[in-house]
Amino acid sequence: MATLTLYSVAYDIARGLLGVLGSVLPAGARAVVLSGDAVTGLAVLVFAAVLLAASMLNTILLIWWERKLLGRFMDRRGAMHVGYAGLLQNFADGLKLFRKHTFPPREADGLGFYFGPTAYMVTSLAIFGILPISSGWNSGALPLSLLLALTIFSFAPLFIFVSAWSSNNKYSLMGGLRSAAQMIAYEVPLLLAVVAVVVLAGSFDLTTIVYEQRNYWFWGPLFLALIVFVAAMLAEMERIPFDLPEAEAELVEGWNTEYGGMLFAFFMLADYLRALVGSILVVLLFLGGWTLPSWVPAGLSSFPLAGILWFMVKTYAVFGLFVWVRASLPRVRTDQLLRVGWNRMIPLALLSVFLAAAVVTVRCVPVLGCVPSMGA
Amino acid sequence: MSEMWINMGPQHPMTHGLWNLRVRIDGEMIRDVDPEIGYLHRGIEKISEDRHYNEVITLMDRCCYVAGFAWEHLYILAAEQALHVTPPERAEYLRTMSDELQRIASHLMWYAAFVQDLGLMSPFLYGMRDRDLVLDLLQDYTGARMTYEYMRVGGVRSDLPAGFTDRARKVLDWLSDRFHEYDQLCLGSAIFRKRCDGLGVLRANDAVAHGVTGPMLRSAGLKRDLRKDRPYAAYDRLEFDVALADGADVTARYLVRMEELRQSVRIVRQVLDWLDRHPGPSVADRLPRWLGAPYAPIGNEGYLLKRSYPKGIGFSSVEEPHGEAQAYVVNDGGEHPYRVKFRSPVFANISAARQYLVGYHVADIPPIMGSVDVCVGEVDR
Repeated sequence: MATLTLYSVAYDIARGLLGVLGSVLPAGARAVVLSGDAVTGLAVLVFAAVLLAASMLNTILLIWWERKLLGRFMDRRGAMHVGYAGLLQNFADGLKLFRKHTFPPREADGLGFYFGPTAYMVTSLAIFGILPISSGWNSGALPLSLLLALTIFSFAPLFIFVSAWSSNNKYSLMGGLRSAAQMIAYEVPLLLAVVAVVVLAGSFDLTTIVYEQRNYWFWGPLFLALIVFVAAMLAEMERIPFDLPEAEAELVEGWNTEYGGMLFAFFMLADYLRALVGSILVVLLFLGGWTLPSWVPAGLSSFPLAGILWFMVKTYAVFGLFVWVRASLPRVRTDQLLRVGWNRMIPLALLSVFLAAAVVTVRCVPVLGCVPSMGA
Repeated sequence: MSEMWINMGPQHPMTHGLWNLRVRIDGEMIRDVDPEIGYLHRGIEKISEDRHYNEVITLMDRCCYVAGFAWEHLYILAAEQALHVTPPERAEYLRTMSDELQRIASHLMWYAAFVQDLGLMSPFLYGMRDRDLVLDLLQDYTGARMTYEYMRVGGVRSDLPAGFTDRARKVLDWLSDRFHEYDQLCLGSAIFRKRCDGLGVLRANDAVAHGVTGPMLRSAGLKRDLRKDRPYAAYDRLEFDVALADGADVTARYLVRMEELRQSVRIVRQVLDWLDRHPGPSVADRLPRWLGAPYAPIGNEGYLLKRSYPKGIGFSSVEEPHGEAQAYVVNDGGEHPYRVKFRSPVFANISAARQYLVGYHVADIPPIMGSVDVCVGEVDR
């Protein structure tokens, strides 16, 4: 059986669609339609559509997962009534937002007001074009895919600040300022923690990083980096305890105070897209991606699409951890957040880079033993 | 960044009611604050002058919507003094129990709102869930969850339904197990301590100068509790301790309110035991006739107005969940009170906002104001 990959699926769909189209066309047109270029062109479009649908669907599922988990943490049940176990509740909410009228404040800057959320959404979606989901399920071998993903990921404060400033609202402005300060402060430890992974894996390619975890997952030797990465990721995702840019107690809704309807939905979706990206990155960098440890029976990972399944399980588990944190911690204050970021996280991240370098140098991991092929 | 004024309110998640905190900020620092009230003024004192004594009770429930019983009790004590009526002992115990159940409900409401302001999501629902059990109890014997209209001049409207004391004990057992969990979620959290320790400090002398009372005053180490200092109802026959802390900050106020919850549970347990052992009338047998039938028969309005009754003045003060509330009722012999005047503790507590807010961060406003426990209904009346 040929292994299913994202491209083979996209090509099959494109070929099938064009075959249907070609069967009703005259012979001359049929040759053009069925030519390799046409199929490739449509396959790329199908590929993008599949990615878009999959990432959106997962985002909505993620919101459902959070609502259910939060509900249980809070001694209630979460969404219950729309669809089985409330699975369709978020679609209903999205539909409601879609029907709502969006009206910018009179004094708002029209261009920035619409540009901010749109660009925020688009960049958050773009990251999914880069992330590999399973072996063969990625957009191609990008040697710097990790770097590219994090670069796009770090665009966000710019767009948040644009939309906050153009809203012409004091709360939005304060939220935007906080958001910019926070994201820039936590970008540094985030990237340093990633550097530790890169040092150990010897590559910026996410697929290679997952492949390098075939002997042991990186969370063991890089536990410190994992902690720094998760904490910095919480700050980047603006979730409790680091959700002060939209601290509803003092800033109403922070930078999205003035947004309603679909533009608000864009922010909401993009937030969860980023949360999904964060969870996926944790899985890819520290938890072995779509692989299972060698002691797990082979039957659990040999059936078709097993990689994707395990990848999803891990991603949702990591996000469940984020939800748990959200359910049990209060929000920190801006100055405390920044102090922790600059004074604690960055030294810890640097330390984890040194640890990774040490592991690569001696080619041994304390508990897991020595591996000859380790590192670049 | 240059300084600017922002309006936190009247529609703002921090306010928990309709009021406006104007804040002058410099970046994230608070330079000045200016509390603005009056958005919820309903003229309760003036309306009271046009109502029969028992009809005013309806308004009292709406004075503070989370502590209706305390305000009913406050008014009833003043009205009874003005009308020379003495309630039976059982009614006093019933009122004490109502007061303390109300204090538990109010403090749980405060807990829920306060942790929500800090961004703690789950304890908000824990607090509301447990408050609901207390509201169920209140509904059990008054029929209402918020606006009870249970107390009457000369007693209470009705006695307890059968089996109430056992149901109440069950709820109290559940509650006293929960307080430990609340503390674990708050005091056990390093972030909570970071957000609350040393914040919103209001020392005892400043508190006294501004007329601040209640948990805010006790959190500054001043032992003042009207239930001990000027006992009313059955408090002089019950055992309890005054909750005290000495930090004068947000954490101290948290500690005081948590201790008060425990003490209230203790008081209600004693009252329930007493009520089980001492059946009896719950309303005085000698009442002014028009108190029993507040509405004048049509065509006979003049008849009621002409009745004269011994004049009197009533003054009462009650330890409300938010602080010391006072009432002044003047009876000039008619069937309406001539003048009714209240003193709201929260009014004084938020008037001192400049004392405990200036110099902190904007992000500190929700926890500090949350620790004040604002109830706008009684501020504006």
